[in-house]
Amino acid sequence: MHKLIMAISMMLSLAGSSAARAQGQTEALIYKNPSCSCCDAYADYLQQNGFKVTVRETHQLAPMSRKAGIARDFEGCHLAHIDGYVVSGHVPVSAIRRLLGERPAIKGITLPGMPLGSPGMGGAKQEPFTIYEIGDGAPKVFAKE
Amino acid sequence: MTHDGLKAIDRRAFLSGTTGALAASLLPGSATSGDAKRRLVLAETQASLVGSGHPKTRVWSYNGTVPGPELRFKQGERLQIEVENRLPQETTVHWHGIRLPNAMDGVPHLTQQPIARGGKFVYAFDLPDAGTYWYHPHMLSSEQVGRGLYGPLIVEEREPIRVDRELTWVLDDWRLRPDAQIDDGFGNMMDASHAGRIGNTVTINGRVPDTVAVRRGERIRLRLINAANARIFGLEFAGHEPIVIAYDGQPVDPHRLKQRRLDLGPAMRADLVIDMMGKPGERFTLTDSFYRRQAYKLVDLVYGSESLRETRLDATFALAANTMPEPDIGNAVRHDIVFQGGMMGMMVERQMGGGSGSGMGMGGMGGGMGSMRDMMHSGRIWRINGVAAEGHVMKPMLTLERGKSYVLAMTNMTAWPHPIHLHGHSFRVISRNGAPTRDREWLDTVLMSSRERVEIAFVADNPGDWMFHCHILEHQAAGMMGVIRVA
Repeated sequence: MHKLIMAISMMLSLAGSSAARAQGQTEALIYKNPSCSCCDAYADYLQQNGFKVTVRETHQLAPMSRKAGIARDFEGCHLAHIDGYVVSGHVPVSAIRRLLGERPAIKGITLPGMPLGSPGMGGAKQEPFTIYEIGDGAPKVFAKE
Repeated sequence: MTHDGLKAIDRRAFLSGTTGALAASLLPGSATSGDAKRRLVLAETQASLVGSGHPKTRVWSYNGTVPGPELRFKQGERLQIEVENRLPQETTVHWHGIRLPNAMDGVPHLTQQPIARGGKFVYAFDLPDAGTYWYHPHMLSSEQVGRGLYGPLIVEEREPIRVDRELTWVLDDWRLRPDAQIDDGFGNMMDASHAGRIGNTVTINGRVPDTVAVRRGERIRLRLINAANARIFGLEFAGHEPIVIAYDGQPVDPHRLKQRRLDLGPAMRADLVIDMMGKPGERFTLTDSFYRRQAYKLVDLVYGSESLRETRLDATFALAANTMPEPDIGNAVRHDIVFQGGMMGMMVERQMGGGSGSGMGMGGMGGGMGSMRDMMHSGRIWRINGVAAEGHVMKPMLTLERGKSYVLAMTNMTAWPHPIHLHGHSFRVISRNGAPTRDREWLDTVLMSSRERVEIAFVADNPGDWMFHCHILEHQAAGMMGVIRVA
């Protein structure tokens, strides 16, 4: 049964991918904790900003973030795969668009710590968001927004 | 995707079509009754968790097995066990659910010095109550329990009920890498601030289960123990009508499962009586559906060709009451307890009106979620009445007068479920969200849903400093514990 569900969801995402391409939409595959509603709100935010979003639930975000090259202190609370990059946490679309436009030789970007006021988190922004590069060396700042 | 290995293990574990684990392998090694002194030796070993065709897993064990040996005693007997630590870390043993003297409770620094590497400690205490209990470390417990240190402790009734077979199932949930080794990312803030370290491989008695052989007409007493760090199980028994006869070792008026599902949070236990009334050759699936969209088959009950009897066994299965004093609820002193913190905690606090009712305020949360990262850096993510614990030794959050009755009115002001455990006592659950409970069940670990209010009542009859904490071990380590003093 589980196998069947996996197969079906794979078919759906393939079907989704051709539809998305036809509309010129960028796909985002988001892995999130099953119980986290902020991550759902973030998925809605990407969708509203023109991304074709697929959400998958998992309890393995910590090891998946490690595997994606994100250091412990820099992980966000969900993990998105967008056009060959990983995007961790509640990163604003402006930063994602810059990433996809410039296509730097990094693995992706992350906004650690779920700051208040970031997309999907709600509340009022307290300070500029510091978004870091995910790469092989020490984390470098990608953007301050 | 890059995590295919993990998914492969997921699928392997959850679908497990090939291990052919027999009922026999689901029985833990047992070390039966008697007052003679016994030993538990803690050491690293290898265990075949996932089954043949996969590498063995390096685990930490009591006496070389996962789970540790099933310790069996009769009610009223004295447990006396020498524990020897051959692990690279200090440890202690907590005898979960047993009402024992404080010095035997196994809480590091609070009730005893840790058992050093190479050290020994003798635990000795009487067993006042029959029931299903378990033992595990109370030190660095996310890692130590997560690496396999736990075992069942069964205290038999003086006059056991009649069944054809008794099974003990210790459920666990492991986070394994594709090479079947334990993922060593213990203590990360993602797990601590969300649902805890939920794994990708579920075992019964240290094996990914496949099938359990049963016979038509057979009456089984199933003792379930959730030894997982964080996974809550929601067990559905297709085609069967299990009767609950005890929770957390304590007898309850026998009843069918509510909503046809048994929810069992970490550290919780249940005793079920199941009459196997399927037909020879039939097969029924036991499903875990707690995380709704991640439901999976836990194990299949498979009927053999032979029948034991054609009608249900006609024998009573009500258990005799244990020895807890009855709380005098009319004259009990009330204390409010609020649990706060974690991911989305601020949102829930706003919705529920902050913690101001308790006078405990918002603790160090004035900075809002902007300070979430600071909170995560410090590892103090969860609070009880405004305080995030660091270590086991702290000022008591409550001091109770010995022999008096108390009601603790608890509010889960977080976005996550929490199994809340009190040491040294069992308590009655008297209400949930203001409605009296039907069974007024005695528990030592009560599962609270997000936003839920639960009242518990007990007589504070056991002197000492007792831990009171969430049994999602990553939540406990990230502050969700306190000390209740009985003096």
